[in-house]
Amino acid sequence: MEEGKFLSWLKNDGDFVQEGEPLFALESDKAAQEVESIDRGILRIPITTPRPGDIVKVGQVLGYLLAEGETAPATESPAPALAATPPPQKAAATSAPTPAPIALPTPAKASATEMPLRASPRARRAAAQHGIELATVPPGGSTGRIRERDVLSALPEVEPGIAKDGFTKLPVTPLRRTIAARLMHSRQTTVPVTLTTRCEADTLLGFRKQLKAEAETAHLAIVPSLNDLLVKLTAAALKSHRMLAATWSDDALLLPETTHLGIAVDTPTGLVVPVIRNADTSTLTEIALQSQKLIAAARAGQLAGSDMQGACFTLSNLGSFGIEAFTPVINPPESAILGIGTVVREAVPLEGGSFAARQRLTLSLTFDHRVNDGAAAARFLQTLTHLIEHPLLALV
Amino acid sequence: MTSTDKTSPLELYRTMLVIRMVEERLAKSHQRGLIPGACHTYVGQEAIATGVCAHLDTEDAVFSTHRGHGHALAKGMDPGELVAELYARETGCSRGRGGSMHLFSPEIGMMGTSGIVAPCILQAAGAGYSSLVTKSRRVGVAFFGDGATNNGAFFEGLNMATIWKLPVLFVCENNQFATEVPFSTVAGNDSVAGRGAACGIRSVELDGNDVLAVEAAARQAVARARNGEGPTLLECKTYRTRPHAEGMGDFTYRTREEVEQWKTKCPLARLKHHLLTHNLASAAEISAVEEAVAAQTEAAHLFAEKSAYPAPETATLHVYSEPRPGPHREAPPSEPGTRELTFMKATWEALSEEMARDPKIFVLGEGIGERGGNFATTTGLFALHGPERVRDTPICERGFVGLAGGAAMTGTRPVVDFMFADFVLDAVGEIINQIAKMQYMSSGRIKMPVVLRGCIGIGHSAATHHSGSYYSMYAHFPGLRVVVPSTPRDAKGLLKTALTGNDPVLFLEHRELMTLKGPVPEEEYYIDFGKAAVVRAGTDVTVVALALMVQKTLQACEPLATEGISVELIDPRTVSPLDVETILQSVAKTGRLLIVDEDFAHCGVSSEIAAQLADRGFDDLDAPIRRLNGKPSPTPYSPTLEAAVVPNPESIAHAIRALCAE
Repeated sequence: MEEGKFLSWLKNDGDFVQEGEPLFALESDKAAQEVESIDRGILRIPITTPRPGDIVKVGQVLGYLLAEGETAPATESPAPALAATPPPQKAAATSAPTPAPIALPTPAKASATEMPLRASPRARRAAAQHGIELATVPPGGSTGRIRERDVLSALPEVEPGIAKDGFTKLPVTPLRRTIAARLMHSRQTTVPVTLTTRCEADTLLGFRKQLKAEAETAHLAIVPSLNDLLVKLTAAALKSHRMLAATWSDDALLLPETTHLGIAVDTPTGLVVPVIRNADTSTLTEIALQSQKLIAAARAGQLAGSDMQGACFTLSNLGSFGIEAFTPVINPPESAILGIGTVVREAVPLEGGSFAARQRLTLSLTFDHRVNDGAAAARFLQTLTHLIEHPLLALV
Repeated sequence: MTSTDKTSPLELYRTMLVIRMVEERLAKSHQRGLIPGACHTYVGQEAIATGVCAHLDTEDAVFSTHRGHGHALAKGMDPGELVAELYARETGCSRGRGGSMHLFSPEIGMMGTSGIVAPCILQAAGAGYSSLVTKSRRVGVAFFGDGATNNGAFFEGLNMATIWKLPVLFVCENNQFATEVPFSTVAGNDSVAGRGAACGIRSVELDGNDVLAVEAAARQAVARARNGEGPTLLECKTYRTRPHAEGMGDFTYRTREEVEQWKTKCPLARLKHHLLTHNLASAAEISAVEEAVAAQTEAAHLFAEKSAYPAPETATLHVYSEPRPGPHREAPPSEPGTRELTFMKATWEALSEEMARDPKIFVLGEGIGERGGNFATTTGLFALHGPERVRDTPICERGFVGLAGGAAMTGTRPVVDFMFADFVLDAVGEIINQIAKMQYMSSGRIKMPVVLRGCIGIGHSAATHHSGSYYSMYAHFPGLRVVVPSTPRDAKGLLKTALTGNDPVLFLEHRELMTLKGPVPEEEYYIDFGKAAVVRAGTDVTVVALALMVQKTLQACEPLATEGISVELIDPRTVSPLDVETILQSVAKTGRLLIVDEDFAHCGVSSEIAAQLADRGFDDLDAPIRRLNGKPSPTPYSPTLEAAVVPNPESIAHAIRALCAE
């Protein structure tokens, strides 16, 4: 690791921090990690500390752990961004008056000294080829000279912005790579079939309108979104169609004991699927609060790995884009995913030859045919449609 | 022109006159600036070349000195070719590569003049040795001055010619000055014939200004040579009446009076008087000859002056003979079950196969005859091929190397077996000044298929006179091929190439590899020079090693492999030509180069490889080029000291580890 994205302090300024306690959160590739303190003392967070989302380099000073009565360096002269820090182990043991800077764990050989840059011809060639600044490459050998292998390991996975043969190369982010790998895995390991059906949403939308109107007077903590309603109804439908939540394993079908539901969230960097816990037993408000928090974290890039694990079924809503029906891709190890289309107003023929305007939406269910046959999936859709059209049933 | 014609008094006069007039023309041309280099004239000594060459056929081989214009002309060289060479033209006898002291016309048996005093004596003996091997009637003739008789080559050459009864004439032109040093002041015994007699050779002293006396003595000497009666030394007393070289002062070491006194003994005037007083030719006949020669001389000058200078882009042509056409030849891959031979046995096979194929190959060396060689190099070959082709020599390295050079120049293929390469150093002048340069000096018309083989390398407490490496030194000189094999298989294929090629080859065999066993395919094969062997493929570091160091590095590779270090080991096999390309390709892959060389680091082949890679492979390098060499010291005797001056598997592994960690 050369750098990471600073997420947040997990302790407050002035807290006494023990060795081994989580100190701050950092995102390396996809998942956030909590960095434990390897020293003890009173946390002093300087004004120069990075803001959430800032990229921080290995060795960069984030804050100080002070002994009793010790003061941090003056904030007017912030510690250098790249500090030649003593190894953290040493800082941990010290009781010297100089405060122990808190820095990113330093790889064994990383060095940020003021020595003139030394690099082998081969390393210089590699740096030129890849458009990388040699000064940013930590040397790895016994002599402090930058070698080719040092340059190559310092490369971003793809060099950005270099046009070649009519294409501009863009970096593949760790998230993009993860998405690609998971979807390819899904494509290669499931037998997906998609069913679509339409349901009337007037009742459900009316229900939500009512909640919104009453929110203040009823002291609702939050107004559930249409999606939250659909999560709740889907959880209810899954109760009577457990096989749609099943996972295929080599020698058995695994039925989950809980009903955690994934919700696909579009973020600036790509698709993530945080998980709403216990959607079947949670109240609508609880679901709404969970989803609000998860969506905010997802958009801030602050989801933890655990936030995205444990679902048995996923909902993906493209309705806000005007999409009516689509073929969502199963998110393994789940075996089904529900696509929610946009609400359209349609003329619906009534008995007697007249027409009425109704709000309708399309449900697109992709399921793994290894786990469920078409009829089972269709029966689940029937149940869910019925629940959407008669949402009160979910309360009973 | 038949020999009868050449020996007639009027023809002798004509030949002497050609020499005289051409020399006087050259003296004038030197003053006019037409000769860019030196010009040593033969004026005053014409009777000797004329009298001796009158009895020589075209195939007889003449080897001469820095004062060789007369020998070339008497041997039949067209004056135009000689003058053009002095004028440095393309049409010169050496195509502008030689000048006054390097006159070559092998087509007429003029095997060359030399800027070095005395090697011609050994080369003439070599020509005589060729006749012995090929059963030819060719006679070798050396012309040399009194100065050469103080040189070891004189004694070594006369001795070898005598013991082997070689068909050779040694013609000493005692003009009484070695350059400008009076012979009487540098000779304990100033009778050259007397010195010859002491060597056991038939020696004759005669008046070198009397062409008839020289002609008579040469007649007898050539007949003896052709009859297998052995060599003759003719000491011809004479005097050069022009300076040592044109443009030099002449009276710091001798007097004007002395020179004038000798001019009265002019060999041309003496013969002319003789012709007239004995009615051997009329005044009109003599005048006709004089006019004809004057016209011939003028024509030669005009021809030369009109001739073009050689093209600059041809300057390095003929350093080596033309490469053998066709693709690179390599040993067949060793299948499992291929028989194993020792290094010694493998080279023995190469030599015996090629000796059986080519009757022109012969071996010279100390103890290589019936005894079969110190390292069994010739075991059984004496019985098979006889003493002419497997010849025990006196301990005179310079002598028999010079002889080998002369033999190669006259069509045979000598193999000189030195036992230890240290011994060759006595012969380095012959190797570098003569053997290495001969193809170039003769503009590629003389081939030099000489194989010089011997042991190199430290081990067995052999101490410092039996352990040198020397390949770097030889590889420095253009004209030599230097082969340093590391396996029995390579040794056989490379030696067979050496024995069939036309370039002189130093074939250096590491003493500590002699008993190394390895696969040697049974089918016949050759390995051409200049192609390195990738002994072991690897990815992390390139190691270049030669000879024993290849084996030592291999031993280091196994433990390194278990540590995760993958070594690519390259054996250049030949130091000249050096296959830089294969090393470059390897370093392009690994980025790291270590050169392991038992030879000294400074000015050695390891420096050359490092320089070439720094030059041509700079951008491929991921670490400095490192070298592990023998210590710069004469080889010590005591095993503890000996081990301290050479790399071993541990120090090699250490160097590789350190380089990979950089």
